[in-house]
Amino acid sequence: MDGRIDVRNLSKSFGTFRAVDDLSFSVEPGRITGFLGPNGAGKTTTLRMVLGLIKPTSGTATIGGTPYTQLTHPISTVGAALEATNFHPGRTGRDHLRVIASAAGLPDSRADELLTLVGIPAAARKRAGGYSMGMRQRLGLAAALMGDPKVLILDEPANGLDPEGIRWLRGFLRHLASEGKTILISSHLLAEVEQTVDDVIIIANGRAVRQGTIDELRGEKRVRVLSPQSDRLARALSDAGLQVRPAEGGGLSVIADETAQIGEIAYRAGVPVHELHSERADLEQLFFQLTENTNRNLGDPAQGFAAPQEGGR
Amino acid sequence: MGTAIKAEVRKLLTTRLWWGMAIAVLAAGALLALLMASILNETPNPEQQAQGQPAMTPLQIATSTYTSGSAFGYVLLMVIGIMTIGSEYRHKTITGSLLAVPHRSRLIAAKVIALLAFGVLYGLIFLIGSVGAGATVLSIRGLEVFPEPGTLLRSLVLVLLVLGLWALIGLGLGVLITNQIAAILVGVGVAFIVEPLLGVLVSQVSWGESLAKYFPSRATNAVLQGYAQDGSTNQLSWWAGALVLIGYAAIMVAIGTFLTERRDVT
Ligand SMILES: Nc1ncnc2c1ncn2[C@@H]1O[C@H](COP(=O)(O)OP(=O)(O)OP(=O)(O)O)[C@@H](O)[C@H]1O
Ligand SMILES: [Mg+2]
Repeated sequence: MDGRIDVRNLSKSFGTFRAVDDLSFSVEPGRITGFLGPNGAGKTTTLRMVLGLIKPTSGTATIGGTPYTQLTHPISTVGAALEATNFHPGRTGRDHLRVIASAAGLPDSRADELLTLVGIPAAARKRAGGYSMGMRQRLGLAAALMGDPKVLILDEPANGLDPEGIRWLRGFLRHLASEGKTILISSHLLAEVEQTVDDVIIIANGRAVRQGTIDELRGEKRVRVLSPQSDRLARALSDAGLQVRPAEGGGLSVIADETAQIGEIAYRAGVPVHELHSERADLEQLFFQLTENTNRNLGDPAQGFAAPQEGGR
Repeated sequence: MGTAIKAEVRKLLTTRLWWGMAIAVLAAGALLALLMASILNETPNPEQQAQGQPAMTPLQIATSTYTSGSAFGYVLLMVIGIMTIGSEYRHKTITGSLLAVPHRSRLIAAKVIALLAFGVLYGLIFLIGSVGAGATVLSIRGLEVFPEPGTLLRSLVLVLLVLGLWALIGLGLGVLITNQIAAILVGVGVAFIVEPLLGVLVSQVSWGESLAKYFPSRATNAVLQGYAQDGSTNQLSWWAGALVLIGYAAIMVAIGTFLTERRDVT
């Protein structure tokens, strides 16, 4: 099994409400894929369909070519953590994991190993009802990892984690991806996963609005330069083979990796430079543009889709 | 399948519910046995006769003593049945359960087998309470403790089955009414109030008796005591009663499986 997640034309209606609408994407092994969208976009509904918990109205979702419900060893194939509240409050963390261990035919010792791995060994004997949000997240993650699965599906895993926890999670997911695992994590904050993910799928109102690698989404690196002799500088930069265009709010915007390169061209052309800095697409801004004004959960249903816009400025 | 059953047994044993219920079942068995062993007589005195207490054989006294508490026992097991699925909905652990056992009918089957096993376990606890307390009082009063051992033993063994079947009825009810508290209130309300009242009402009409004997509580009495408590002659034989109870349990489990197969787990 290659551990590829394949979602084809997946739709789900709750009554007349179309929560997920003709969604198609695939998640590749060895990469971390961010599944992004504002609240109510349909992320959790999609993940639950992938896991066989919600029946799709139409379309299919498979993992390594097999629907989740037909996997012979689900826990050892796919690890999933959906919400941080899925624990019986009267059961200890260790017992919670042991229930999963017995269902999956794993040794009981896995429970303590995993509690240590996610950093809450002391929570073993404590009832889950008394856990903090971060402890619940970690217990959920431990449950997902019980069978050492090839595929990880995590719904908002960073919710409630402290900065140290988020950094640990990042490193840990990187490590797992480097082992060739398929990792799909959802979030409603692009900034939260920006440094973690390789690929992104952005959805709004149940539809995909953008898919690609995080670098594609960021667009090319640009340098902004402000000079009192804009025309001369523009000519000098073009002559050096660079693509130049007027920047919003004055100055020039040049496709280039380094500010030093621009500074040197200006120096050789004898053009004074007042401002020089590198610019990157503001992903949060981009995310907002892709998903803004279209949230059906916030009313104004007449509003159509804003066409996906290019770039961050 | 074996792993799924083991997981269900673990779920039951890893919360406080199971021993809380064990104490309640033990108490129900012991207290009712104490009461029955103290008041029942082979030949009631005139005052009791005036109140309609019939003459009883030693077997009837012993059976009544050891099994009367099962009316509370089976309601407790029904509550356990409700909670094995109700608490999964309430605490949303159903998500994790279905991730581990995605085949939904297999999950229900595992719960059914685990509940039947717990019916036996709780039945033994019940008998420890009822036989322990009842036999002590009967022997102090000089009454026969174990008359007609064959028939009496059959009643005691059937307690184990009856409790398991009521747990299955609860399981079906818990799937039907996903709000755990509502399901428990409805289940207990029907078992303690609605069903007995309905039985009395139905019995007023001429054909009523032949219908009322199929009611769950009456079928249960038929299985355990082998004679009618109210002296009515219209009672199922013990094995017919057992078949009727198995029928109820099967229907409730079938409804539960049907609904679980179709529901979205959100
Ligand atoms: N069982 C249900 N019945 C009716 N509507 C539902 C149901 N589950 C989800 N929805 C609706 O479907 C939409 C998508 O919900 P979903 O939980 O998938 O969003 P999400 O992207 O996970 O949001 P969030 O970031 O808040 O977790 C929402 O508008 C929600 O109200
Ligand atoms: Mg969600």
